[in-house]
This record gives sequence, structure tokens and C-alpha cells, in this order.
Amino acid sequence: MAASGDSAVAASPRKVLLVPLDPVHDVALKVLNRMLKARGHETVLLPPDLPMEEIVAKAAEEKPDVLMVSRTLSYGVAELLSRFVDQVEVAGLREKTRLVIGGKAIHPSLAAELGFDAGFGAESEYEEAISFVEGRTYVPKAARDDKVKADITSGYRYGYRNAGIGRLLDGIVDEILEWSASRTSPGVRRAELRKRMMSEGEASALLPEYLALCDEKIVRAYEKGEYPNKVRVLSAEEESRLDAFISQSKKVERSAVLRHTQKKPLVFVQYGTGCPIMDIQHIKTSEGWGADGVFHFDPSWGARTEGFLSGCLSHEEDGSVITVENLRKIKSSLHPATIWTVRAHRGLNTPETVVMAGEIGADLTKINIVYGSLNGGTDPERLTVDGVAGIRYAASYGMPFDIVTNEELGGVPADKAFAGMLIVARLALRLGAKPILKPLFCYSPDVMVRGLMDDNYVDYNAAKVMALRDIVDAPIWPGEPIGFMTHSEDRVQSAMATALHASLGISLGVDAITVASTDEAYSRGPISVAARVDTLQAVKEAFRFFGHSRIEPTAKAREWADGLIKGIETVLVEVAKRGSFVGALYDGLLGGPEDGAYPGRAGRGTVTTF
Amino acid sequence: MMRDNAPISHVVDALDVETYLVCDSKEEGSRLGIQLLKDLGFKDVDAVYVGWSNGGARVRLRANIHRPGDTYAWLPEAE
Repeated sequence: MAASGDSAVAASPRKVLLVPLDPVHDVALKVLNRMLKARGHETVLLPPDLPMEEIVAKAAEEKPDVLMVSRTLSYGVAELLSRFVDQVEVAGLREKTRLVIGGKAIHPSLAAELGFDAGFGAESEYEEAISFVEGRTYVPKAARDDKVKADITSGYRYGYRNAGIGRLLDGIVDEILEWSASRTSPGVRRAELRKRMMSEGEASALLPEYLALCDEKIVRAYEKGEYPNKVRVLSAEEESRLDAFISQSKKVERSAVLRHTQKKPLVFVQYGTGCPIMDIQHIKTSEGWGADGVFHFDPSWGARTEGFLSGCLSHEEDGSVITVENLRKIKSSLHPATIWTVRAHRGLNTPETVVMAGEIGADLTKINIVYGSLNGGTDPERLTVDGVAGIRYAASYGMPFDIVTNEELGGVPADKAFAGMLIVARLALRLGAKPILKPLFCYSPDVMVRGLMDDNYVDYNAAKVMALRDIVDAPIWPGEPIGFMTHSEDRVQSAMATALHASLGISLGVDAITVASTDEAYSRGPISVAARVDTLQAVKEAFRFFGHSRIEPTAKAREWADGLIKGIETVLVEVAKRGSFVGALYDGLLGGPEDGAYPGRAGRGTVTTF
Repeated sequence: MMRDNAPISHVVDALDVETYLVCDSKEEGSRLGIQLLKDLGFKDVDAVYVGWSNGGARVRLRANIHRPGDTYAWLPEAE
């Protein structure tokens, strides 16, 4: 039986006789005894292995409302239990006393066959047996659907605990805002048009103006129906069947909770199979196995293309194409408690993506000017202009956004990546948005070169969280996914790696984590739905295992956290001295060629001043 | 909900087969695993994981039934 958290007092106390009709297996009855007593019931727990006649005599003396028997099934036990029921009947107890049997192999139909009123087995909850005692209808956990959408930023005040770093960030942000105030780009202008197209119903009238700001391959799709390679329009029949799938999924959907006794972290998964139908299958599966949130992963070419396609589109490779229609279908499939993120962070459509996501009802987005400029392929000047506009839109839609530090995966050290993240976070606060810090729990190139994880994966990941907490009071959401570069194609190892990193997240009290599937390291084909279930199950077990206990990092974690803070401060001093955030990006102060970071070229020369 | 009752039409994306093969190397384990799936009649197959030790390989073999963008047999008829 599984534990229940319900400890309220029962309205009508009952008398319950608990009988271990077994030489040794009486643990479940002892647990029930404790729980029933806590709820105000009068209980009598007999010792194990009493002769049947003695038990019946005791029952006749106590005259209980409920007689609960536990017994492990083995050869001949069915006959023994039938005989017990007969003797209870002969003793005249059957009219008043309800008979219950419990044991690992018991199921309701077997209990009824043996003459019991109810039976509880290995998959029953204690709450189920208690509900029976109290005459209440039991609603199985799996059938409950009381999950509510969480606000990841709730309770954070964004105060800077490190005043020196706060002052440096303020100076850098002043310069960014002043510099960007008189600049615009095709991406910013498209975002303005997109907002009017979506909120004012002027889509067709504004389309020519919109297409004038788009790449040729986008224009060709609108005007000639010629779509980029490996992209196709779903047929009318496919769309109708997708609608039927969504409608039927909504009828049976249930949200599960992975956490055991913890309130956080929330657990996110990333989808982006390329096909909105398959995406929705992944989302419904993830919701059913306990994911709290999902986020949309688009194709890499989307970041280098000016403008968005339209229609319900399928893409044969990784990443699902962002269109109004695709996002609307996906949004319509979501459970009300599911937190939905549409990432906008790295490309030529950053502000427009935020507008689209905001208009359609996304909960969160993702913007990082620094990562997008240095490892995402977008020109720093362009992405700074677009990023500021995107952040303004995020603020206006009330959409918090995470600032991922994936440049670490290219080789940028954490102090440089964090300095960039903190600049964008300060910029967000100045513009009225709510940033979420996203350090990587990863085995990065810098970590490998410096030998920071030669002994364990705990200390340096813990140091990152400790350092950020020492700097600012902000939500922290390690990603993306946790355990990046520690997964192998072995699904047991992969699920275990994620579960252990999730355990570290639990221990550090972070607000959310993004988990991989067990196909994370498999690159020769798509991620399977079953692989998502494997990881979510492993993470659930981690939550159960740890409860409120903790992993204890070694003293190295504190030492490295202090080193990270010093490193971040040094980087910020250099950026501030440079006097130009965009110049600092081009000069490699937040990650340069020696770190595997290069200023992107997409959109270069497209920023104009006014 | 399903288009037909054939079990294969209920498979969302892939069929994974996990087993242990007696073989002399990781490469042989991979080759045998892939051939096993082909012998079972699957065409789009791969060895997702092969770990070899002491004369045998732990394998996870995958037969793709539907890749993203296919026409899915599990998708219900329009209402």
C-alpha cells in the first residue's frame, strides 16, 4: 500500500479490529492502526498468528464495525480465508461487522469471491482502506485532477545581495537602454505588425507590409505555396483528425504530480519533434506522467530566417515550426495546470515570437541576448535591439522569461556565461519583466578542461546555484536539460543521470528543472514517447527517495561559488569599462573564440537608427 | 479512438526490443540486433544502445513505426 497524506479527524469514529492472520506480515495493519487512531477511530490490533478460533472469540467480544484481516496468499490460504469468513458468520458477527482482507496479491474480485466486503492489495492506497472504514467514496490519486498552475516567480523580490555587482549591472543596463532607444530592426517592426495582425484582426491587410520584412523563402511560401525543405502543410484530413485527437485527449486527461512531500522543483520537458501532432502526443504523455510544464523547441533555421510561415506545418527534422496555427493547436491541447513556454531567445524573430506567444497565451518565454549573439548565430547588434524589444513585450504580456546559459556547452566558462545572464536579468527588471535564472547542471567543456567534476557532479553545480543566490534573490531553474553531457544511450544510465541531477535540484531547493528523455544521447533518430516516461518515472523515484532530506556538497562547492562570484564581477568590470555592451559582445568579453564563442552573423547590418 | 484494433496501429512511434545477445564484440552485437529486427519484418531499424562485455551485448533495438510527420495509425478519425 502507498502512503497517504490525509490526517484529518473522521466525522464518525468507528471501532476497527485489525487481525494479522499471518505469522509475520503485519506491517500494513500496523500502519493502518496508526493512521486510523490519528483519525479518531477506536482500534484493536491483535498479535500475529493467533489461532482462528481465538480471533473469532475476540471479534465476538469486541463487536467491531470493521474487521480488517491481512494475509499473504499462498497455497491453501484461499480455503483458510473462506473458513474464517464462515466462522465469523457462525459467530453472528456478519450483520454488524464489515469484513476486509488485505495482502500483496489481494484484489477486489478475489476478496468478493472469498466472501469479504472489500479487498486491498499492493497497488491500493492506505487512504482507500480508511475511506472504506469511514464509508466514504474513495477517489484514487490517479483519477484526481486537482493540479494547479504554479507561478515560478512567486515570492521573489529580485533584491541584489551583492551591491557591487548590482551597481555594475545598473551601469551596463543604462548604456544598453540608451544605445537601443534610437535603433530598430526588421524583427522589431515585424513584431509591431504581428501584434496588430493578431490583436486587431488586420492580418490580411497588413500581410504585404509584413512580407516586405521577411526572407525570400518565407515570401515564397505565402505567395507560391513553396515551403522550405522538409516542411509540409498538414492536409485538411490530418488537421481534422488532430482536432479529434485533441478533443478526445481532453476527455481523458489527468495531470500527475511527481513531487512527493516537496513543493518544488517544478519539472519541465522540452518538445519539438517537428510535427505538431506528435508534439501533442508527447505533451499529453508528459502531463500524464507528471511534467509540470513543457516548452516549444523550434528548428535551428528558424532563428536565422526573417519572418514566420503560416499554417499547420510539419517538419521532418528536429524542432517544430513556429506558426500561429501550430501554437494555437498546441495551446488548445494543454492541461489547464501545464506551464507552457515558447522560446524566443536567440534569433531574428525574437520580439515577434514573444508577441505571438503572448497573444496565444503562453505562460513563459526564453530570451538571452548574450547566448543568442555568441552561440546562437545572431549578430550582437541586431539581437541587442531585438532582445530589448522582446523583453518589453514579455513585460507587457506578464510573461516571465528564463535566461539560459547554454554558451557553457560551447566552452564558455560559467562566470562569463553568468555575467551575460545577469546583465539580461537586470535589463529585464528595469523594463518591468520577471527574469528566471537558468544555470546549466552540465558536464561542460570548461568543467572537463579544469577538472572541476573529476570527483563528483555535485559540487560545481551546487556552486553555481550558491553563487547566483549570493548575488540576487531570483528564481533559479537549472536546465537544459539537467545532466547535459552526462547522459549515454543506455536508458538506465540516462534515467539515473537525470534522476541524480534532479535530486541535486531537490537538495538545493531550486524552483524548476528541465529533464531530458532517456533518448537524450541518441542522435540517430527521434525521441520516443516511452523515453519520456522512463525519465519522469526515475525523477519521481528521486522525489520519493529524498523527501526533505538533502545531498551534502563538499567544502569545494563554497570555495567554487566564491570563485564564480569574483569571476562574474571581473567580467562585469571589463564590460563596464568597455562602455558598450554590444562592443563587449563583439570583443569577446562575455565569451570569445578561446571559449568557443563567436559573434553571430545572421541579421548583421540590418539595424537602423531613427 | 483507434483507427483499427491491430496492436501495431496503437504504437505511437517506435517499438523497442531489449535483450542480451551472445556475440564477440560490440559491432557484432549491433549487427545481430539490427538483423534481428529486420528478420522480424521491420524496415526502419536501429540499435539505440549496445554495451558489450564478456562475450555478450546488452542491446536496446528500435523499430520505428511512425516518425514525426508520418500518417499515424493511432490518430483517431475526424469527429
